[in-house]
Amino acid sequence: MLLFRSEEHARNWSTRWNQPEGSLLSTEQAWGLAIAWYSEDRREPGWRRKTLGEAQEIFAGLGLILGFWKL
Amino acid sequence: MSGSDQALAQRDANVRRIVYDAFISRGVAALRAEVAAQLSLPDPDIAASFERLAEGHVLVLQPESREILMANPFSAVPTSFQVTSGAKSWWGNCIWDALGIIAMIGGNGAVETSCPDCGEALTLTVEDGHLLGTEAIAHFAVPAARWWDDIVFT
Repeated sequence: MLLFRSEEHARNWSTRWNQPEGSLLSTEQAWGLAIAWYSEDRREPGWRRKTLGEAQEIFAGLGLILGFWKL
Repeated sequence: MSGSDQALAQRDANVRRIVYDAFISRGVAALRAEVAAQLSLPDPDIAASFERLAEGHVLVLQPESREILMANPFSAVPTSFQVTSGAKSWWGNCIWDALGIIAMIGGNGAVETSCPDCGEALTLTVEDGHLLGTEAIAHFAVPAARWWDDIVFT
């Protein structure tokens, strides 16, 4: 999961290195994903990993609904 | 859950607390010996706990030493994603994790990386929980369902 200057740079890189086109996110979407996934304090005894359903809800809430984001 | 299972779950929670506290407060991965000393347990007990936490996708271990490689969002080794907040710094495993470190420590900090296509330096800054404007784009190459097939590549 890398950061590129623009969509054009991401597509150039994917083509050059024969990587799948993958999924492109705005930095706001990436920040939203970071908040949703990592805001909880993992030092707390009751912390647990998110369920598949919870993860899917987070993706959907950020507009990440294509097959690429299906768990 | 049996009594022994509960005891192991409690131990794993204690190990997790120590591991994340070391990353958050000191920016380093706790070594097994350090965790063992803090919990007054022998190394094999901590090694077994690390393996259970890795099995549960809480930790990623180094292939030979079996010390910590990742406790997402933190990386134990230098990466292309440096995170700073005040005088502290960390390494993120990817752009999502680098931003995740800022989310985890309270919403103030910066991620420094570079465009893999052209090498231009890129910085994302977060202030009081708000990402400041930038035109950069995050790229996810591996579909979500396959992230843990090879988490180091992902």
